[in-house]
Order: sequence, then C-alpha cells, then structure tokens
Amino acid sequence: MTEPPHPTGLAGTSEMPDGVASADDLPAVELRDIWKRFPGVVANAGAHLRVRRGSVHAVLGENGAGKSTLMNVLSGVYRPDEGDVRIGGMAHHFRTPADALAAGVGMVHQEFRLVPSFTVAENVVLGACERIVRRSAVEFAVGALAERFGLATEPDRPVWQLSMGERQRVEILKALWRDAQILILDEPTAVLTPGEADELGAVLRHMADDGRTVVFISHKLHEVMGFCDEATVLRGGKTVAASLSVADTDASELAGLMVGASPVITERPPLREAGEVRLEVRHLRCLDDRGLNGLDGMELAVRSGEIVGIAGVAGNGQRELTQCIAGLRPVESGTVHLMGEDRTDASPRQRFADGLGYIPEDRLGVGLAPRLSVTDNAVLRTYGRHRRGPFLDSGAATSHCRDLVDQFGVRTGPLDEPIAGLSGGNLQRLLVGRELVDGPRVVVAAQPTRGLDVQGVKAIQDLLVGERDAGAAVLLISEDLDELLTLADRLLVIHAGRIVAEFDPTAAERHAIGEAMVGHAVPVDDQAANR
Amino acid sequence: MNEASLIGLFEATVSFGALLYLAALGEMIAEKAGILNLGVEGMMAMGAVTGFVVALQTGNPWVALVAAVAAGAMVGLLHGFFTVVLGAEQVVSGLSLTILGLGLAAFVGRGSVGEPAGAEMVSVDWGPLSDIPWAGPILFAQSPFVYLAVIMGFVTWFVLWRTRLGLAVRAAGESASTADAAGHSVVGIRLAAVATGGGLAGASGAYLTLSLTPQWADGIVAGRGWIAVALVIFGAWRPGRVAVGALLFGLTLALKTRLQTFGVDFSPILLSMLPYLLTISVLVAISIRSRNRPSPAPAALGIAYRREER
Amino acid sequence: MNRPMGRRVGRPVLVRREQVLRGGQPLAFGIGLAVALVVGIVLLVGSGHDPMRVYERMFEASLGDPRAWSVTLNRAVPLGLAGLAVAVAGSMGLWNIGAEGQIMAGAVGAAWVARVGGEWPSPLLITAMLAAAILGGGLLALGPAIARARIGVNEIITTLMLNEVAIRLVQWLVHGRWKDPDSHNFPLAPMLSDNARLPGLFERAHVGVVLAAVVIFLFGLASSRTAWGYELRVAGSSGATARYAGISLERKILTVLVLSGGVAGFAGGIELSGTSDRITESLSNGFGFAGIIVAALALMRPSGVAAVAVLFGAVQIGGQSIQTMGVSSSVSTILQALILFGAIAAGVLSRYRVEMVAGDTTEATP
Repeated sequence: MTEPPHPTGLAGTSEMPDGVASADDLPAVELRDIWKRFPGVVANAGAHLRVRRGSVHAVLGENGAGKSTLMNVLSGVYRPDEGDVRIGGMAHHFRTPADALAAGVGMVHQEFRLVPSFTVAENVVLGACERIVRRSAVEFAVGALAERFGLATEPDRPVWQLSMGERQRVEILKALWRDAQILILDEPTAVLTPGEADELGAVLRHMADDGRTVVFISHKLHEVMGFCDEATVLRGGKTVAASLSVADTDASELAGLMVGASPVITERPPLREAGEVRLEVRHLRCLDDRGLNGLDGMELAVRSGEIVGIAGVAGNGQRELTQCIAGLRPVESGTVHLMGEDRTDASPRQRFADGLGYIPEDRLGVGLAPRLSVTDNAVLRTYGRHRRGPFLDSGAATSHCRDLVDQFGVRTGPLDEPIAGLSGGNLQRLLVGRELVDGPRVVVAAQPTRGLDVQGVKAIQDLLVGERDAGAAVLLISEDLDELLTLADRLLVIHAGRIVAEFDPTAAERHAIGEAMVGHAVPVDDQAANR
Repeated sequence: MNEASLIGLFEATVSFGALLYLAALGEMIAEKAGILNLGVEGMMAMGAVTGFVVALQTGNPWVALVAAVAAGAMVGLLHGFFTVVLGAEQVVSGLSLTILGLGLAAFVGRGSVGEPAGAEMVSVDWGPLSDIPWAGPILFAQSPFVYLAVIMGFVTWFVLWRTRLGLAVRAAGESASTADAAGHSVVGIRLAAVATGGGLAGASGAYLTLSLTPQWADGIVAGRGWIAVALVIFGAWRPGRVAVGALLFGLTLALKTRLQTFGVDFSPILLSMLPYLLTISVLVAISIRSRNRPSPAPAALGIAYRREER
Repeated sequence: MNRPMGRRVGRPVLVRREQVLRGGQPLAFGIGLAVALVVGIVLLVGSGHDPMRVYERMFEASLGDPRAWSVTLNRAVPLGLAGLAVAVAGSMGLWNIGAEGQIMAGAVGAAWVARVGGEWPSPLLITAMLAAAILGGGLLALGPAIARARIGVNEIITTLMLNEVAIRLVQWLVHGRWKDPDSHNFPLAPMLSDNARLPGLFERAHVGVVLAAVVIFLFGLASSRTAWGYELRVAGSSGATARYAGISLERKILTVLVLSGGVAGFAGGIELSGTSDRITESLSNGFGFAGIIVAALALMRPSGVAAVAVLFGAVQIGGQSIQTMGVSSSVSTILQALILFGAIAAGVLSRYRVEMVAGDTTEATP
C-alpha cells in the first residue's frame, strides 16, 4: 500500500498501551485514552483503538464492554469526557455525527437510522444533495453507487417495504454516498442470515481493497476470524488487547480476552431424567407484526426437568413463539397445551396461574414497567393477592418485594423509586426473580442473558438450571449458540416459523446447526428425533 | 336560487377556503417537521389584531400584513421554544398558546373594538379576466390573500417535496434522530417550521381583519383555527388534498349564512359541525388503512427530540 | 473532570441532572406564578395602570373574604373537575382534549332532565340531572374511546373535534328547540326552576364544591391505593407490560376515556345547576382547556388538581373584578397561560441544567 504523505516526527502517535507499536503508517483512526461516563455507569474507562488504513478491523467485546459507546465517540454521537480522537493523524473534536461524516467517518448503527416512509434514494441522499432534488437523477446516481460496490437495491422503493438485510445495505450506501473513508458497523450481522453475513463480508473486503477502512463491531468470533485483518478487544470499558493480527491469533485466545478471568458456565450441569410433558405446542400458526406468517406449523414439547434450547437466526419466529405461549399474540390455528390442558385461549394471567413463568425478550417495556417503582414491578404478576377489597395492601406488597430483592440479590435503591435507575443486570434479576419466586412448572425464557455482564449471565443461567433441577420444564431461546450448547438438554433449530432440526447438544456440530439455521437441513421427521 | 347568489356562494367559498388554507398550510409545515401546534387559534388572533392595529397606525395594508406575519411567527416561536428547546408536552404548550394568543390579542385590541379599519386590502384587478362569466367574480376578483394562499400552497409543496431543505424538514418529522445523524439541526429545522407555521397563521388572521371582515372584535377568529388543525388531517398532510379540503370546509362556512336564501330548511349550525365530523371520519379511515402500511401522519409528530440520552 | 481542550464559548445545551432538584413541582409552580405576575406588571404599567392596585383588587375579589372565597370556589369546581378529567386520562398516557365539549354535553344532559322532570322533588331531580350530566359527558367521549381502543385512532384529535361539535349542538338547541319564548329573540334557554338548583353552602358557594372535592378525593384514592389504579399506572407506563400482566388494554382505554368524559360531564351538570342556572352557548367558558393546564401543572395527579384549580379560580375571578377599574379581563387570561409557561420552564430546569458546549468542532488540529 502506498503511504499517504504526512508530517513526520509526530509526537505520541506511536504510544500504545500494550506496546503494540507497528506504526510506520499513520493510522486511519486513533482513539487515545477515551473516557465516557453516564449517570451510574462508566462506559469507557481509558479505551484505545488504532486502525490501519485499508484494513477491516474488528472491535470485540462482550455486551456492555463499551464497544458501542467507543464507536459512538468515534462517530460523533457522544462527546468523550476525556481523550483524543484522531483521524489520519489529525485531532478532531466531533460535536455531531455530521462533523464526523465531514471528516470521513460514517457509522452504520445497530438500530437503523432510516426514515421508513422515504424511498431508498431519499434516505441515501438525506443531508447530502443538491438544493433542488430531482428525483430521477438522484435515484439514478444512488443506483450507480450501489452497483459499484455490489449492493443490490431498488432506489425508488420505500424503505418500510424492505427486509432488514436490504435496510442495512441502504445504511452502508448512506455512508458511501457521503464518501466515508472510514466505515463503522455496529454488530451488522445480528439481523442477517449467515448467507447475508457472508455477502456483507465480501462487500466490506471490497471496500477495504478500495482503500477505505472498515471498523467492524462484533462478538461473533467466527466472523472476526472470517473477514477481519486485525482485532481490538475491549473489556469493562478498557482495551485489553490492541490491533492483534487475526492471522496470528485464534478464536480461543480472543474468547479468553473477551471474557477475562471468570468464564461463563464451562461445565454442563449434570443431566436429569425428563418427566411428563408440561408444555406442548401443536401445529401452531400465527401472524407476525407485518401480517405475514410468523409461525407456520410449529411443533414443540418440553418435559418436566429438561431445558429445551431454541437456536435460529433472529426473526424466524422466536418472538412469536414465546408470545403465543404466553398468550400475548393471537393464534391463527393450532394449540398450546400447559400441563396437558389446552390453554390456547387462556389469558396471560390464567397461564401464570397455571404455573407458567415468562421472561420476555424486552425487559423494560414488556416485562417491567419503566416508570413504576421497584415494588410496583415486583407485584406485577401477583398484585391480585395483595388486596383488601378494592384496595391494594401496600404493606404486603412491600414485604413481598423485599423478600424478592433479598432472595435474588437485586441491588436497588429505595423500593418506592422508579426502576429506571437500575442496571440491566439488576433489572433482569428482578424480572427473573418475580417469574421464578413461586416455583413455576413451566419457564419460557427469551434471550434471558442478552446484554448482561459476566456475573449477570452466570446468575441468570444458574437460576434457569436450578429451576430445571427442581423439575420445571424450561424453554430457552437465545441468540448465543454457546449458551444453548452448555445449558440445553435438547437443542431445536427454528427456521421460517417452524422447527427444522433437533440436535443433541453434547454431540452436535456447529456447522450442522448453522446449516439448519439457514434452512439447509434434513426435515426433523427424518432425523432420529428422540421424542 | 339564482345565478348571482350561486356566484356569491362560490366566491365566498374561495375566500373562506383561502383563509383556512393559509392557516392549515402553516400547521402542516409544523407537523411535517414533527411539531403539533394546537395554538393556531391563538396565532390567528395575534395576526388578526396586529394586522388591524398596524393598519390603523400606518394606513398601509401591506405593512400591516408583514407585521401580522411577524406576530404570528413570534407566537409560534414561543411554542417552538417550549416544545423544541425545552421538550415540553406539545399538546399542553399548544393549548396554552391558544389561551395566551387570545388573551394577548384581546389586550392589544381592547382600544380598537368597533373602530373602522385603517386600511383594507383591495381586491386584485385582473383586467379582462374579471369579466369572464362565473370564473371572473369567483376566481379573478378576490383579495390578494387568496392568491397568496395559492402561491404558498405551491411553494410549500415544492419546498417540502422537491428540495434538500424539504427532505430535511420531513425527515425531522418522521425520525428526528435520522435527520440529526444526517447532519441536519433538528432544533433549527423544527423552530423554523413552527415559526413559518405561525407566520402563515398570522397571515390568515390578517386576512380576516384586513379583507374579509375589516374590523376588530374579540372572538373574530371564531374557531377557524381548529378547522385549520382539522384540515391538515383531512388532507392527509398533502398540500393538494388540504386545498381540496379547504374548499370543502370553506363551502360549509359560506353556506352557513346562505342556507336560508337558498330556501334550504336545514340548520346552518348543524351544517357547521360537518368539517369536524368529516375529519373524524377521515382519521378513522386512515387508522384502519394504516394497519399494513405507514400512516400518512409524520411518525415523530408530537415527540420531543433530545440527543445523547441514554 | 477533565474536558477536551477547547474554547468554552459556544451554544447552550440541556444536560440531564443526575438528581432532580428537590421541591420540584410546587417550586416550579411558584416560579410560574412569579413569571406571570412580573409579565403582568409590565402589561399593566404599559397600559397605564398601577399594577399593585390591580393585583390587590384581584386578591381581594377572589380570596379577600368569605364571600370572595365562595365565588372562587364555585369557579374552581369546573376547573378542578375538568382538570381531573384530563388527569384521569393522563394517568394512562391518554389525552382528553375534549373536556370543553364534554362539559357542554353534560350540561345538555342535565338540562334535558330538568325540562322533563321540572316538577320532581328537588333531591331526586338534582340527582337525576347530575347522573344525566355524567352520562352526557361519557357519551361524548365514548366514540373517541372506542376508536382509540379498537383501531388506535389518535384520541387527541377526535376529542378536540368533538368539542366544536358539542358547542354547536348547544347553539342549535338554544337557537331552536330550547329557546325561551320570552327571551325576546335572544338565544337563551329558560331559567331552571328552583328545585333544579343546587343548594347553597355558604355565601354564594353551592354544594357542588363539596361534590367536586369528594369526587377528586375519591379518584385520588382510587388511583393511588386500589388495584384499579395500579392497573392504570401499569398501562400508562407501558401498554405491552400491561398486556403481559393480563390487564386488558382495550378495556382500560375504554373505561378511562369514558370515565374522563363522565367527570367533565359532571362538571357541566354542576355548572348548570349550581352557577349558570340556564344553558347557554358559553356555559363552558374555556373550562375544558383551562382544565388541561390545571392537570399539567398538577402533573396529572388528582391531589394537585384541587389546589391548582382553586388558584386558577382565584385568577379568573380576580380577572373579572378588575374590569370595573377599566382593566381588560384579558390580563387574567394571559396570566393563566403564563403561569403554565413559567412552570414548564422551571420544571425543565429542575430536571436539566444548562451547559455551554465548546464551539470548536470540525476544524482539525494536527
């Protein structure tokens, strides 16, 4: 690669925390000693990052490691409390994302910043077009740009009609349209099928070869190994390894750096004999939010004393499945049985009374009411019990809440304060505790450990295993395949609203599971299904 | 029912339509940027009284119009300051603005009640065009405000749908964080949109006191501000459809005083309920239709935007 | 805390305080009142009046003696009930902007009963009138409630539109069927008979003051202490959480909006039977809109609604009294709006602080 002209002898450009000094080229991006605090949280505590021009650089870390915050600092969304941002050797103080864009830094956020009612072209040129917008010319130009980078898209379609993968391409186009030389992608593959993820990898490689720099945030190691050149690992808001060459490392080293000293459950909890069927889903169909098939003939049975894990690419019916079981989504056809009884038409409250504990994917906003107090949230399921006539017995509610908080180790402030101040891990402890405190007979847990720190993950996983050992039937839905492989007694793969494969987690090959997740699987009936 | 009274009816329809259209366009611009302003009634009152008082002082209707626009824009900016800068609840601030505007207008105009107008906008003379039967009196002998409304309709459409600025305004109303990320100042856009909306409401108010009923009285706006709010919804946030709605609602206003001359035995009061009932029907229809596609309402309407919140 | 080097001049931004300032809403309210009074002084001086004398008169006429209090309390009744109506809906995150119309609808219901049952014994007639008032207000809110609960139609607009419809309904009645034949062509309905009028309490105050206080107290109790109020809070905090907890959102929206309309209708019935004595086009003289301000200032809490309503009643009654001094009563209208704007600003500043942001950004420094 040709070296861009730059002033020589710049002081400090080569000082790196871990002694990884290989800067004979001025780095495209350099973040030094970045601190960013939020009320109650230190998201970045002296993080560093150094990215070589023309490379695909992975920023790795567990949820909550400070990756997104660091990238938001780099892209001008947040102002760092302390620290330097250097682009191509020049110090910048970005006040807005627009400032960052002007310096050539474009970011593709996890939540897309798109206007659903605008067309693809309108979204792409928003903020960077001629004063007078001529539709056909703009659409042509956007189409040409898309073609140049191999991003298939239809410039005149409104964005609300597009799939998630297509929307992501629009986001990338937006950055390219602004001629971003540095492109940051925040967990871009979370919404993609493995096939789409591979295509994305090819596009990113194409861009790097074009002389641009790609910063790729992920916690999926195989992707990092697959299409990144270098990797920086964050943990607890700090850089623990900077600019490791991917060729010189391996997945286990990176994994070790990510989780640090205390690993998640490493040993499988001992198996137990499964008992009677407690949760059964028979030929269930339902619609998703867009009115399309969400579940399409779902079959499922969970027995007492087993954890059944469900793996799948996001958006293949996981959400709909849990909502149907919990009674939160209308069923088109098929049945849901709890403890052998047909409860398809039962209300959420009746199902809870039957012994169904439900840990929904969205903690705040579904499982917990954000503006209400800790106590109010603790009695959400059981307030009917703390009644005297029409009145709520606040004393009984408070003592119930205190028991819950003590038993499940929820760290809170005053119990009558809104829960909004609690950390993610404590929110989840409160929610999980509330669902488990009565000893439910069936537990449905959707993404129960997502976004939690290592201790939080461990605590929740232990609770689920404990419920299983106490004889509950546990259905666990997770995007984290490692979690499923360690916890589940049986592993089912969901694709397009139905179960397409079943695996024994102790003997399954990741490759085969991945194939099943994209629908390239032997139908479940032909397998040695052990039901 | 003779020809002259029919022509009179349509002439009045066009004038009332333009009155409503000016205010509704202003409200539409604010809503397109994401700000619901229920203070139209108050802004119109401020425009009306300012126009009237300045006309008394200067004798020049055009100076009066400019002053009315400025007054409306300033009152609009007050709503902007509270909702955009401070993030206050838009419904509460807008309704308070109506109360404040009506109060201030009454206060400013307290000495001018019953005074003859200082100046009036003279109807535009289109020469031979005015002599065309029907079209002449209905379309080519109107107050300049009518033509202003038509021009503003086109300008609004062009700016909102054919320029970079318009793209930014609509983005601010659909998804403020997206507009912000694209480098647009959401605060600036929204303030400008609310001020523009206030200016148009002020112009609409001035139309009342400089042209339609050239005098000042408390309550002269008489609920037309609410019709303007209704019109934006009735017209599904589109200048063309809002124009059609303005003519339709203008017709109901024009008919109100004429039903009896036409020998129609129907209460003009019940007739005047029509715009509101029609708007409710349209809103219901929009909601039913929006189950599988986005609603025509700006998605971020009514939602305050603040960056860097976590 | 170290900050990036940079010039400190720039533009102000609001930064969320880690802790909300103590004293909160009463303080914000006080600041709002102060702002309003100061602006009022400017207006009064500008128009050649002695502001202190005007304010003194306002105070005396509204809170100076028992008689003044009785008038103020009578006025606080529709304001407080309208505020309660807004607050009831607001506690669930809904906006009932239709109190103005619902007050009218309530008055129509009560007036209809009074026409039909003019000869009934007073307690029976008044009870029936107030019941009809609640029904009338609730009925006007029923449409928006169903539309919102079933198909998600924005209740802000529907309730707002129905205001104008209800006012025109009253106009239609008093210009036509209900016009008093002895009114010399004025659009006036006949006066209520004596047995349709609320009994007095003290001075000019009527028992409506007690009724309103009881209703507000009951709602306060219900919303903070009962399972029903708890469910309302859950639904107001997050609809999805409510469904998760087995609370029917549809039914909650329906009952809350209809109840809210009923409370406003009740205000109309009391206003008719206690104060206005006949139904007129201007029976709800902006009470519904003022009620929104009252509820906003009370942060949608029933307990606060009563206090704010009394204060707004005093401002309104005081405003009427200064007309005899040649001061426009619009001053009081302006004061009411300014109290709210001042309080909003103070409320925001109790949650956020203003910080100057460095102005240097895009220019790169090597």
